[in-house]
Parts: sequence; C-alpha cells; structure tokens
Amino acid sequence: MNQAVRTDILTVRGVSKIFGADRGSVAALSDVNFSVRRQQFVTIVGPSGCGKSTLMQILGGLASASCGEVLLNGEKIAAPRPDHIAAVFQEPWLLPWKSAQENVEFPLSLKGVAVAERRARAAAQLELVGLAHAATRLPHELSGGMRQRVAIARALVQEPDLLLMDEPFAALDEQTRTKMGNELLRIWEHSRRTIVFITHGLTEAIYLADVILVMAARPGRIVERIEVPLPRPRSIDMIGSEVFGQLRNRIWQLIGDSP
Amino acid sequence: MTRSGLQRVFVLGAQLLVVAVLLGLWQAAAPLGWVDPDTLPPFSAVLDTLWQMLHDRSFLQDIEITGVEVLVAFIVMVPTGLLIGFVIGENRPLYRTLRGPLDLLMAMPKALFLPLFIFVFGIGFAEKVLFSLTLGIFVVILAGIAAVHSIPQGLINAARSMGATKAQIYTRIYLPGMIPLLLNSVRVGLIFTIFGVLVAEMYVSTHGLGRMIFDAGEAYHLRDMLAGVLLIAVISIALSEMLRRFERLIRTRRASFS
Amino acid sequence: MRAATMIKKIGVWIVVLAVWEGAYRTGVLSPMLFSAPSLVLKAAWTDGPAFVAALETTAFEIVVAIVLAWSVGVAFGTAAGAIPILARISTPLLAAMIAVPFIIVYPVLTAWFGIGPESKIVFGTLLGVFPIALNTMIGVQAIEPGYVIMARSMGASKLQAMSQVMVPLALPSVITGLRLGTSLIVIGVILTEMLASTSGLGFLITYHRAMFDTGHVVLGILLGLSTSYVANALLSWIEQRYGRWRSLQQDMA
Repeated sequence: MNQAVRTDILTVRGVSKIFGADRGSVAALSDVNFSVRRQQFVTIVGPSGCGKSTLMQILGGLASASCGEVLLNGEKIAAPRPDHIAAVFQEPWLLPWKSAQENVEFPLSLKGVAVAERRARAAAQLELVGLAHAATRLPHELSGGMRQRVAIARALVQEPDLLLMDEPFAALDEQTRTKMGNELLRIWEHSRRTIVFITHGLTEAIYLADVILVMAARPGRIVERIEVPLPRPRSIDMIGSEVFGQLRNRIWQLIGDSP
Repeated sequence: MTRSGLQRVFVLGAQLLVVAVLLGLWQAAAPLGWVDPDTLPPFSAVLDTLWQMLHDRSFLQDIEITGVEVLVAFIVMVPTGLLIGFVIGENRPLYRTLRGPLDLLMAMPKALFLPLFIFVFGIGFAEKVLFSLTLGIFVVILAGIAAVHSIPQGLINAARSMGATKAQIYTRIYLPGMIPLLLNSVRVGLIFTIFGVLVAEMYVSTHGLGRMIFDAGEAYHLRDMLAGVLLIAVISIALSEMLRRFERLIRTRRASFS
Repeated sequence: MRAATMIKKIGVWIVVLAVWEGAYRTGVLSPMLFSAPSLVLKAAWTDGPAFVAALETTAFEIVVAIVLAWSVGVAFGTAAGAIPILARISTPLLAAMIAVPFIIVYPVLTAWFGIGPESKIVFGTLLGVFPIALNTMIGVQAIEPGYVIMARSMGASKLQAMSQVMVPLALPSVITGLRLGTSLIVIGVILTEMLASTSGLGFLITYHRAMFDTGHVVLGILLGLSTSYVANALLSWIEQRYGRWRSLQQDMA
C-alpha cells in the first residue's frame, strides 16, 4: 500500500466544484477521487459538460475546488505551480510577436532565468518536438499542428512533474490529430513525464493511455477507471483490434448512460 | 426576459443615464451659481433659443445654404470620384503612375489649402462646394479603385464577350460588386464634406450655419451658438447612425444571397 | 535601385516647380491666385523668424494637446476595455462624439477660454481623446482570455501578465487610435489658429491671406503640411516597431 502511495504523483480527493449559490447552484464536479502514478499517461474522457475542463483548471491551480483537495507529491495545489505543473490548452496561445524559440523561452523568462540558459533549454525542447528548424519562425508562419507542438515544447521547458493537456488536438484536423498523438507518445516515452490528457475522443483516449478515467455529466464525476491492456509502443493497427473495440464499447456505454 | 435582453436594457439605460446626467449638469450649472448664465446658459434656454431660431427666416436660410452646399458637393463628389476611381482602377499603367500621388494626396491634410481655394475661387458658394468636395473625393476615388481591383478579370471578360458596354460594366458589375466598401467610403466622404463646408463657412463667408455659429461666438451670444452646435451635433450623429445602419442592412442582405 | 527611384522622384518635383515658376513668370498664372516658388522663398527669406516663432507656438499647443489626449484616452480606453459592461455602454457614446464635426465647438471654446493657446489646447485634446479612447478600448477588449490563462499557468504575476502579455496584445489597436487622434490634433490646432488666434502658424496664414501675400500663405501651408508629415512619420515608426505583428496575425484567427 505504502509503495503505491509513494509512486502516486497526483492524488485527487473528494474534489467538488459548485457554481452559483443555493437554488441556482450547479455541481460541475461532484466527489472526484483518483490518483495518478509517476510517469503514467492518464486520459480523461467524457461527454461535453462533464466538467473535464473545470477539473483541469483545478488540477492546474488555476481555479479552486469548492471542497476536497489536490495533492501533488503530497503538497496541496491551490495556485499555479509552474515548476511542477505545466499546461497545454486547446488553443496554443502563442504570443504572436514572439518567434517559436522565444515563445518556448517565455516561462523561463518569467522566472528570470539567464538568457544563455533559457535559450539552450528552449532549443532542446524545440528539438525534441521536431521543430528545431522552425525556431525563428513567427506563429503565423506555422501550421496548426506546429503551433501546438511549440505549445507542448513550451510546457516541457518548465520541466514539470505533471503535464496537463486539455483537448490539445481538438482544433486540428483528423490526420494531424493522429500524427500529433503519435508524436506525443514519442515525446512522452523520451521525457518520461506524467501526463493527464483530457479529450472527448474515445479512440484518442484509448490509444494514448495507460489508464482511462471515464467521466459522466450532471453532476461531473468519474464513473470508471479502466486500465488499458494494450502493449507499448502503440501502433495504428491496434485501433482495429478486438480489445480496442471492446474498450470503445465499454466507454461508449458508460458515457451514454449518463443523463 | 433573457439574460442578454436584460443586459441590453441595462446598457441602454446606462447610456441614457450618462446623457441625462450631462444634460442635467448643463441645465443646473448656471442656476446653481457654478457658472455665469451668459457663459453657459441652461440647456432649456438653449432649446428655447433653438426653437425660436427655427422660426427665424435668416436662420432657416443659413441652414438651407449649408445644406445645399453639402448636398451639391456630395452629389458631385460621389459619381465623379467613383468614375475616376473606376477609370484608374481599370488601367494598370495609369494606376501604377498615379498610385503614389493619390496616396500622398489622401494622407495630406487638405483642409490647410482653404486659403488657396479662397484666393482662386473667392468666398462664395463655388469655393465652399469645391473645397469640401476636394476634401472628400480622394476617399471615394480610392474606394472606386479598390472596387475595380476586387472584381475578378474573368467576370469582366465574360461580360465583355457578351457585348456589355463600358457604362454597363461600370453600373452592373463594379458598382454592385463593392457596395459595402463603397457605402463606407461614401459615409466617410460625407463626413469630410460636412466638415469642409462648415470650416469654410466659419473661416470666411457671408452666410451659412458655420458662419452663424462663428459670429455668435465673436458676439458672445452663447445661446445662439450652443443652439447651432446642438443642431449640427444632433443632425450629424443621426446621419452617421442612419448610414451605418443602412450599411449593415445592405451587408446582411447580400450575405443572404451568397 | 532605390537611388534611381529617388532621383526620379526628385526630378519630377523639380520639373513641377520649374513649370510652376515658369507659369508665374510668363504671366500665365496670376500670382495673386497661385503664388510661385520664388515668392515662397522670398517670404521665407524676409519673414523666416516670424514663421519659426509661430511654429514654436503651434508645436507647443500640439504637444500639450497630445500629452493630454493620449493620457486620458489611453487611461479611459484601458479601463473601459477591461470592464465589458463599461465597454458596451461607452462604445456608441464615443462613436457619436466622433461623428460630430468638432470644429463647430471651437467658437464655444473661444468664448470660454479666449483666443489664446488655451482654447487650441482644449480643442485639440477634445478632438484627439475620443478616437484614442475608442481604439484603446477595442484593443483591450479584444484580448482573448486564453492568453492570460496561459501566462498564469506558467506562474506569471499579475504585473507580468499585464506588461508582457496584455499590453503587447492591445498595442496595435492603441497605436491606430494614437495615429488617428494625433493627426486630428495637428490639423485641428492649425485650423483653429486660422479661425481665431493671436499667434501660431494658422494665425500667420490667415494674416497673410488677408494681405494677399500669397507667398507667405503657401509657406505657411507648407510648414503646416510638414508638421503633419513629421507627426505621422513618428507614429508610423512607432507602429512599425510595436504594432507590426497585428497585420501578420490575420490568418491566425
């Protein structure tokens, strides 16, 4: 038991989020409990309105829970912790006047890291996501997928213990999305960070994850925790396999059951 | 009521409140002793004066003169400007040569040339019309050029092969093709025209609203002056709003066709 | 290549000036109406100092009006842009003020402030403040919250978020407003000097117009155009330096 606790990097206990007061209140999240082990890839999947994004905000310290707590390495999370938690959102939100390199350096410059060091660290992350050649380009000169990769590099440069990703590929077309998924797995296997990845795509949720947390809406809650038995490294042909299909059906049922 | 409907009412209410407060301050300033009643006569007194002026022959004449000047300038400026714009737009070499000078003239504050217009054309009707026309016409010319450049050449070729004359191309293709842009430029042109007429009248003139306001200023007749300012302000805001709505209407109608 | 086009441009100007002067000399154009380059030069020669002094006054009025309009306009625009309800309330009110031909307000100002520099400064400030406020408001309003959330997630402090993310995002719109407002101020000040004043460039122009000194009038107008040009060039430079990314960003939407 103790062993498992020590390898849990993220613990979420009894987290609820209620908007509004009294009669008009809406429970966006209700009694969410789960833990994530170090270096795990966890996906959270659920229908729209199940509170996934709210949960992400709370995990990242960008919003507070109405009750319950989030523990990272045993410490309570109540505010952004840029040294430990990094986030990638649906839109890359790259600063349009900065080059890719400068955008990746941004979190480091906020901290006051020296120029030479942050330049080197940013370059390394750009290399990792395969965009070293585009370092001097401005965001408008990059494709959607490239911009999101820069956003990922920017998150990684913070050297976080935990990487939160909120539907990062939702704005991309299907082909790019698949490519990016594989890219992400490659980066994950290389950097061995813990990733919590939110999506509403079932295929994506299964393909990427070690563990899937299935959420339902109204109120937002976790209805099941599924361990994905597929071997690593993943490959596209696994998507057509029977195991994959069963997982899909299972999740589909769970989501469909919610009111 | 819906949440956004409620918000809209609140916003409107707040705007009316701002106007009401400002008018209220205006109204009360003199009676409360904050200012001399001759320096800032109460709003009601100004309205009163305006009402009287609107029954006064010479004031109505001033309005008419200014109005006619603006109208004539506008009526001449729009077709002429568009025509010139279309011609230049069609002719690539001509466009390339004139592009620099046109941009320069457009950016130049042409109002400064008023004294020269007075030297050449005197201080009468013609000078004011020509001056204000000159202020506004470049916007329209540039819009005409943009209109032409936005129509794909293929469309023009097709029309020409069907035997369309130049006039038909101008009126049936260029004009409808760019109505929203043209409307916006026409609105801006009108603003320049009104401004030009008023400035010219204020500067050196015998008649007109601008003249009347300026003279009232020199004679320290605040009531008459403020009445004139109020009238012009209300008319220009109304005109601008009407044209803006019209633009929006045209744009949505066209969107539903495409 | 650039030298060649420059020379061509200068050449055109020389030709224009020569033709103008020639028309004057041969009596084709009446000097009373159109003046001539030589007359302009003569005016500069004889009354140069007077024009320089006038220019100083005008420049002073313009600069003060700019300082006031910029500060009030940007301050209000920022506040209104940050508070959505305030923005919705202010937008039509500001737009209405911009629709009014403000020059008609000037006689009222002369009645209140006299015909000295004060009335010009007040007028200039009023003229410039509304477009600056409106454009600043639009710029601040348009900042997408995602940028700020992103910055916060990286540990940006409130100050850092404002200065390193929000200000640059709003800047292009603000600069557009500053540009518009400034050119209105320059012209507004000179025009009001022309209408009623005791000093300044516009005053000289009107004075010499009444005396039919066409050379002086043209000189005055040229100086006015140059002032406007300098102000615009300055703002163009600022725009290039700080607002350039806006046009690049169009396709990112």
